Amino acid sequence: MSTDHEYDSVALVPESIVRPFARAALLAALTGAVAFVSIPIPFSPAPLTLQVLFVFLAGLYLGPVWGSVSLLLYLTAGGAGAPIFAGGHAGIGHLFGKTGGFLWSYPIAAFVIGALVHGRTGFGFGSIDPTADETPSGGFFDSLEVRDPATVGLGRLVVALSVGTLIVYAIGAGYAMWLLSLSPVEAVAQFVAPFVIGEVLKMAATIALVRDGRYELS
Amino acid sequence: MLTYEPDETVAHALDPRAKLAFQVAFAVAAISRPALAPLGVLSLLALGVLLSANLSPPRVLFGYRYPFGILCLSVLIAAVTIGPPWIDLADGVRTAHAAYGVGLVLLVSAAYVRSTPVRHSRAAIQSLVPGTPGRLLGIGVSLVFRFVPVLRRDIGTIRDAMAARLGTERSATERAVVLSSRGLTRAFVRADRLSVALQARCFAWNPTLPPLSFARADGLVLLLSVVLVTVPLW
Repeated sequence: MSTDHEYDSVALVPESIVRPFARAALLAALTGAVAFVSIPIPFSPAPLTLQVLFVFLAGLYLGPVWGSVSLLLYLTAGGAGAPIFAGGHAGIGHLFGKTGGFLWSYPIAAFVIGALVHGRTGFGFGSIDPTADETPSGGFFDSLEVRDPATVGLGRLVVALSVGTLIVYAIGAGYAMWLLSLSPVEAVAQFVAPFVIGEVLKMAATIALVRDGRYELS
Repeated sequence: MLTYEPDETVAHALDPRAKLAFQVAFAVAAISRPALAPLGVLSLLALGVLLSANLSPPRVLFGYRYPFGILCLSVLIAAVTIGPPWIDLADGVRTAHAAYGVGLVLLVSAAYVRSTPVRHSRAAIQSLVPGTPGRLLGIGVSLVFRFVPVLRRDIGTIRDAMAARLGTERSATERAVVLSSRGLTRAFVRADRLSVALQARCFAWNPTLPPLSFARADGLVLLLSVVLVTVPLW
């Protein structure tokens, strides 16, 4: 019967999920909100856009699990019609379009960056559904721990961000190459080369943000 | 910019699940590089979809001028070769063929964006993705819709404050650092307030959603989707 649920007991969402989930949703919204921002770079054909920077920040500040959830929310909301893809576009068409590979790579990159930075502490084991487990404490989400990225060594940060960037561009350019029947050189010329300077600056900006004490992100 | 607009078109009346299935099926058909005849049928179908959502094709083309511009650039880059004969027509035509299909997919998704309110999308997501992940995805999507305008205003405020202090004279990296750290700080403060508010209001796994129901028209759309998925086999 359709009214059965009204008599079910309310299954409250535990705090260990609500807090990181709200942060993941807001980071997804922020990644969409900066879709309009572009900063001109001297001697570069493409301006600096901040979306990949927020992919980095999702992995760094939310960890591998919630970081990738955040970017999945970003993709789903954009597919459902929120104007949050580059240039304020929306719709499933963009997930299949020429830059679709870049979009799909975001959750993967955030996961890998989070895994490389937070190591084993970023993962936990247990039940994913708290309604299945009557004791919410001690579950999977309680065991997830995200360390302060400011305490992570510079080498580890550089490696994690470089691997994340490589994933974004390998999947993004690879998909465009397949979709539009381009040769590898053509794909690199259009989808990688114009953005190299911007990506290096974004990695520098992310490392400055993480390691600079002025920016308090508790 | 194309967003949801209330209306009483055929597309607005359809079940969001049928519309999602149709879009995915259409994408599968259009990006599989179909022959010219099926591509012509798909073009007519895309035109029909736009009209069913009361969208004029010129309006959509204008709204998507940048994605379409980049697609044209891809065709140009594919056609140009380094060294004689400089222009490889066959290569360009092959990419143009693929790019045309991608363009059609964008047109069809524009109709969904105009005809589907967020609460319908959320209900569709939660009925398609079972269990807790579906619920989290549904709630998260509505939160993203709700907070994008708020955070965009935050970003605007930060940019205005930077510009008033000659921030535009700073290096690109410094501007990116200030903008993203201030933006992230504000977003996380909002998120923490939101999580307290959610818990205060008994945020639960089992909320009440608008009921979705399949009508005859939705059945037809689903049937068409099944046909479209088989296009790559033709």
